[in-house]
Amino acid sequence: MSGHVTAMNPRERALLAGRRTPQAVLAKAAKWSVLALFLIVTLFPLLWLLLQTFKTNAEFVMNPLALPSGFYYQNYLDAVRISGLPRLLMNSVIVSSASTAINMLICSMGAFVFAREKFKGQQLIVTIILAGVLVPIIALMLPYYRIIRGLGLFDSLAGLTLVYVAINIPISTFLLQGFMKSIPFEMEEAGVIDGCNFWQRYWLIVLPLSKLGIVTAGTFVFLFSWNEFVYALLLTASFTTRTLQLGIRDFQGQFFTNYTGMYAAITLSIIPSVIVYVFFHERIISGLTSGALKT
Amino acid sequence: MTLHKHWKGIALFLLPVGVMYVTFFIYPLGYVFVVSLTDFRGFGSMEFVGLANFRRIFEMTNFQFGLRNNLIWALSLGFGQVALAAVVAMILARKPPFWRFLRTAYFLPNVISQVAIAMLWYTIYRENFGLLNTALRAIGLDHLALNWLGNLSTALPAVILQQLLYIGYFMIILLAGVMSIPRSLYESAEIDGANVFQQEVFITIPMVKSIAVVAMTLAMAFGIRHFEATFLLTGGGPANRTMTLGILLHRNLHAANYGRASAISAVLIIVGALIIGLTRHLLTTRSAIEDVKQ
Repeated sequence: MSGHVTAMNPRERALLAGRRTPQAVLAKAAKWSVLALFLIVTLFPLLWLLLQTFKTNAEFVMNPLALPSGFYYQNYLDAVRISGLPRLLMNSVIVSSASTAINMLICSMGAFVFAREKFKGQQLIVTIILAGVLVPIIALMLPYYRIIRGLGLFDSLAGLTLVYVAINIPISTFLLQGFMKSIPFEMEEAGVIDGCNFWQRYWLIVLPLSKLGIVTAGTFVFLFSWNEFVYALLLTASFTTRTLQLGIRDFQGQFFTNYTGMYAAITLSIIPSVIVYVFFHERIISGLTSGALKT
Repeated sequence: MTLHKHWKGIALFLLPVGVMYVTFFIYPLGYVFVVSLTDFRGFGSMEFVGLANFRRIFEMTNFQFGLRNNLIWALSLGFGQVALAAVVAMILARKPPFWRFLRTAYFLPNVISQVAIAMLWYTIYRENFGLLNTALRAIGLDHLALNWLGNLSTALPAVILQQLLYIGYFMIILLAGVMSIPRSLYESAEIDGANVFQQEVFITIPMVKSIAVVAMTLAMAFGIRHFEATFLLTGGGPANRTMTLGILLHRNLHAANYGRASAISAVLIIVGALIIGLTRHLLTTRSAIEDVKQ
């Protein structure tokens, strides 16, 4: 047995022993250090923030590094009362849901045509729309401001929704037409034989089969709209149209030195995004993955 | 086959998305370039002033800082963030224990708004009760504690770092690329005696190059359009050290300097296109030469 082992070269022996050469051990340590470092960078600040929300403000000021002595939920009550969170949340829900629904409707119609029909100039149109991904949208502040004012939609949730629907056209078109291209044509042909017209092919056949693609693209649009700040800042002015992200910016002024109350408000503002992520992370990852592999 | 039968349907289906795209992408791009050549202030007549707005902004100190910082942002994200993401992607592609959990965890901050993330990092960087300074003082390094966002030399790195370290977005894109490389390539390299490091350098990196270029392009586009964290953390200060063109554009828009604001927009768009085009050109040319060699 031992004779057999010594007959092998060092590399083979190392392989057999689970690769415990000094280099392998070093490589493994380096590997886990990198993974741990990024895990800490990613999660520690968030966990630290969460922990502060359970402390009293005095506890926090005394030692920001200490663990909370109990569960001081008053911070959360303060957070809701001081920040006007319910109104902010409602506005964000309205704008994000409406943007997602409208964007999905118009982009799925466009994507259906791009993926399932052939016509002259198609490739050019698709390229122009997809190139929109690279346009630095913040450079368009002035024209968007003028357009929304011109339409009489300044300081309205409708104006904000319209802008979010538009900004997301390139990404949604890209994801949806990619998904629709993968649906077998036989399904549609069977429908045509059964007498489906153009609209029915879209509404009764392709759209139901694209559910997964719609969920993926819809998640991207929803999260974008939920988190958007620049255009909410530019296109709204009053408290009644203020979205959550604008609200967060004001926390500093509202809470003043009630730090733990402010941290509770920030925590509450983050929770909806985290919930969406918990439910849809598979879709988000698959959307990014398919995007990467198609280019 | 069904080329002409459906032209009405096709036109009808493209109408909503087409109208929206023309209104919010094509018209605004044209608008910005036209207005950048005028002295428009929001009302009254528009006077054509040629390149005067551009000459003026290039003389402004805050614009010079803004342009420089936008380039630093684009390069830091395009090279730094993508490189870090690539290292993590290469590790996760070998499916170590918990790799799925790690992948999900690394991406989490990317679904949280930049506003909330910026507020979070404000609590880390702030001078008093800040997490960073408190930690430094706790381990006896009091002399290192400083006002990170107010210091001339640390403000820009501090703001960039709070975005650069969140590698999740590009890690997912690159991981998809690395995982699509056939396992057999690694197996045969292993038999030939290549260690893990050599396998990554000679197999993974050349094979994911095209996806890496896509990731770098997107990262640079993000760097060019950066706004939130700077707006919230420093507002462009101290002394313009963190100024970006987006912040400057927002200021000029509020001052109703529409001609000058449009000139800044035009620079933002042109610089963005140039830096992205140049990177893609340089990187793809080199890979084409390598392809010929092989």
